[in-house]
Amino acid sequence: MSDIKIKMNNISKVFETDELETHALQNINITIKAGDYVSISGPSGCGKSTLLSILGLLDMPSGGEYEIEGVNVTDLSLDQAAEIRNSKIGFIFQSFNLIDELSVFDNVALPLRYKAKVPSDKEIATRVAECLELVGMSHRSSHKPNQLSGGQQQRIAIARALVAKPAILLVDEPTGNLDSKSGDQVMDVLEKLNDNGTTICMVTHDPRYADMAKTQLRLLDGAILTTPRLATA
Amino acid sequence: MNQFIFQQKQAWVSLKKKPAFVATVVTTMGTTLGALLCILTLAYLLILQPLPYPEQDRLYNVAHAIGDKTGETNAEAFTYPGLLNLYKSQEVFEQAAIINYGQDVLTSLPNQPTLNTGYATPDWFEMLGASMQLGRMFEATEALDTFNPVAILTYQTWQQEFAGRPDILDTKVSFSGVSYRVIGVLAKKFVEPQIKATGMTTHIWFPWDYNLDVRMKERWGNISGSLTFVGKIKPTLSAIQVEQIITPLVHDIWVENVSAIPFFAGWSINMKMQSLQSVILGESQNTVYLLLAGVLGLVLIAFANIANLFMSRTAEQQRQLAIYAALGAKKSHLFKALLAESGLLMFMSIVLALAIAACGFYVMQSQLAAVLPRVNELSLNLVTFIAALFFALVFSVLFAFLSSKMINYRALNSILQSSGKGTGVQVSKRFRQALIISQVAIATLLVFANIGLFREAVDTITKPTGFSVENMTQISLSVSASTFPPAEEVAPVMTELKKKLLELPQVEEISQSGSVLSGFGLWALTAIATNENYTPESTGVSDNYFSMMGQALLEGDYFSVADVKDRNRVMIVNDVFAKRLSPTGSAIGLQISPGGDREPFTIVGVVKGVTMPEQSTIPMRVYTPAGLSTTQMTLRLKSGQTITREEVVSAINSVSSLYALFSLEVLQEIKQKRLFTQYATAITTAVLALITLFLASIGLYGILSYGTQMRRFELGTRMAIGAKRKQLIGLIVKDNAWVIALGVAFSVVVMLVIYIGYQDVIAVYLGLDLLAVFIFTVAIISLLSLFACYWPLRQFINQPAIHSLRGSD
Repeated sequence: MSDIKIKMNNISKVFETDELETHALQNINITIKAGDYVSISGPSGCGKSTLLSILGLLDMPSGGEYEIEGVNVTDLSLDQAAEIRNSKIGFIFQSFNLIDELSVFDNVALPLRYKAKVPSDKEIATRVAECLELVGMSHRSSHKPNQLSGGQQQRIAIARALVAKPAILLVDEPTGNLDSKSGDQVMDVLEKLNDNGTTICMVTHDPRYADMAKTQLRLLDGAILTTPRLATA
Repeated sequence: MNQFIFQQKQAWVSLKKKPAFVATVVTTMGTTLGALLCILTLAYLLILQPLPYPEQDRLYNVAHAIGDKTGETNAEAFTYPGLLNLYKSQEVFEQAAIINYGQDVLTSLPNQPTLNTGYATPDWFEMLGASMQLGRMFEATEALDTFNPVAILTYQTWQQEFAGRPDILDTKVSFSGVSYRVIGVLAKKFVEPQIKATGMTTHIWFPWDYNLDVRMKERWGNISGSLTFVGKIKPTLSAIQVEQIITPLVHDIWVENVSAIPFFAGWSINMKMQSLQSVILGESQNTVYLLLAGVLGLVLIAFANIANLFMSRTAEQQRQLAIYAALGAKKSHLFKALLAESGLLMFMSIVLALAIAACGFYVMQSQLAAVLPRVNELSLNLVTFIAALFFALVFSVLFAFLSSKMINYRALNSILQSSGKGTGVQVSKRFRQALIISQVAIATLLVFANIGLFREAVDTITKPTGFSVENMTQISLSVSASTFPPAEEVAPVMTELKKKLLELPQVEEISQSGSVLSGFGLWALTAIATNENYTPESTGVSDNYFSMMGQALLEGDYFSVADVKDRNRVMIVNDVFAKRLSPTGSAIGLQISPGGDREPFTIVGVVKGVTMPEQSTIPMRVYTPAGLSTTQMTLRLKSGQTITREEVVSAINSVSSLYALFSLEVLQEIKQKRLFTQYATAITTAVLALITLFLASIGLYGILSYGTQMRRFELGTRMAIGAKRKQLIGLIVKDNAWVIALGVAFSVVVMLVIYIGYQDVIAVYLGLDLLAVFIFTVAIISLLSLFACYWPLRQFINQPAIHSLRGSD
């Protein structure tokens, strides 16, 4: 079905060292549909970040099957994974991960420059302006990231995540490095985006923000605790 | 003091955990500082250290320059009577000695070794401040014309040929039929001034009267390169004053005595004073400056590399440093801790460096004695140790200083609070770029210079010579009697010996003359047709000489068997001389006069000129029939075969007991020996180029890898938003390319500065082909840099993106 954005089947992840096998994730089954707003929460060390890495193709699962928009992405080469990340996934990190040497504009434009077919400068400029508009940062496009506040930086990061029109936004503790006011602003932006149809999957340990999502998944020791409401529906 | 010991202990414990770091630092600094100490000691010896003789600045070698009609110096060598005249009549030297050099066979020992012989008047050893191991020096009893047959051995000869026999004094030794009584052994520490050739040491000394040029005693028209005059000038006189006094003294008597020889009409003598130091050192100081520049470049590269390693290590230690700071360590405490580590490492490096320098001295003494003067005086001395201590101190402080400079003391505290995030220790981007630029610039310069010199040397080695030395051995005989037998007595013996040698199974052909490598004499000749004077090189050859040596005949004929047997007045000249004699036509048939009323020679053939191994131009040469009494022979052996000394000696003994084998040399070996400088240069430059590349690659890798490490999160982020591997490699290469290009540009600037400053020295090496060498060098350095960009990146781009991002949140 075309409105299923993400489908995970029995995904597991094992970290092996010489003496120890750690099962970070076990039999994870998740389905995220178009327009969903999913939160994943749980105590420290429960596997949230690992799950998000696998969702975002930053890491490979040890077992199971993973599809994004109906395409099997379980076994991809590093470059193939990069291509899917570029076109289908938008990342928002806790520490923003903006590149200090690049201007706000160039930071936001970066994913477009990694596309297989790089758009024209004019197209890039239009698209970047649209995204900055969406997060209310149009007036900062020539600044350097370190000239901005944390909240502003995170909004730039959101604009960057949106620029390539991804299938899903993967958000990792977006408010972790922010004061509560800035945090609220960022959450507002995310909520608005979701209202306009953007699919979001967010990892957070803050129950207040987790509650803002339509679907809430809880992880404990690498397994999902609550059966997602939407998935059973 | 307790604090000091504590810190050394801490440093030791901390370093023990990082054996790879210690090994890299100690080997890199140890080797390069070893090379530096070695060259510095050599430089001190050759540039600053006075010669080991009393009042050495007043010791001069006197050169006897003979100028032709145009006033240009034609040759720089004494005539025998001229030398004696100067010695007897001069009043400007406080002490003076005349010396001559030769070689002779010591026939009284069963193995009959050929020794380097020296002949000197009594003042020689006293002037040099020589001391004796045993016995006495030459005295008034050995003065000019006393003919007292005594000999002085050098310490080495005493040890090697006489096994250090304690009863050596009064032993008799025989040379050329004369029996000499040993009266002394020179002290071990006596250093002979190597005037005649670098690396040539005399094995045994005789009184002047027995010198081998004595047959020239009355000949004012002949010169010999071995005749030497050394004197200590009076303190009231300057070298120029002495020149002005002795020039007319020598000139006038010479002109008077050669007035009967028309060849010398209008010629003159000019006396030149050369300080003993300049004669011994020659051009070697330039070599030393070059070596010093090369080794300093290496040290700079090594320093940049190791500085980088130290800084990476400090970056690694930031947590530990933060804990020290939290516990109350001040900046100065942290510096002392870093200094304790760098000091310990430099101490280990300098111990290795001293060992390497000692090895370097050994290699120079055993391999480079013929190229570098005074190397036999090299040893680990006070200068070496002071330099070693100085470098150890300077580098310890420098490394500790650079490491401590990176510590942002204020940010250290926040490291503990923010669980490892933050930048308390960082090498600034600008500093890293400066390191890359200097690395690339120095490496480019050194590699370029080395490849340039390497090519030059290889070109000389592989240059076609126009003759063959394959499978050839030359022998020469001496006579075990004080007077040489007449030619008609020698000829039948030589013919018989030739027959005996040809009977040996490995001998294919014999030319009864020296080989092409035996050297040439100079001969004053006059072309009868034009009355023009020439001084071509000359030698006597057999009838089969040219065909055997593979020297091509261009015109006319070789000598016939009868020409050689009857010593006909015929001559073969090389193309260079033929061209001078007859620029447009043929030289065949022209008549050449040896001067006086002697019968002229008729040119019967023209051969192609040959290039001697170390020569770049071909001089004029003439060849005359050698005659059958020549005691030199060149043997062509069957491919892959050899002939031993014993085989030749037994052939000689079966013919006559009057002759001894003076020398037996394989031509290929002589050729290699003559090309020694080129071989040594080729090997040294190749090794230096490789070491430079190796050091530069370690250094560039270190810096670029640190830079890449610093960008780990950025790279992770770029990967997360979809950058492919190719794009990331492109990014890193692009970011570093301009720095590397700047390094290359910088090296070009330095080269231009060197070129402008030392144009006349460098001009010899310049040529368009150097552009190719430069392009090649830049290509190597670029490839190396590209590799250094890519290799550290691998660990990030060949793994899932999360590895680079982990720890960022």
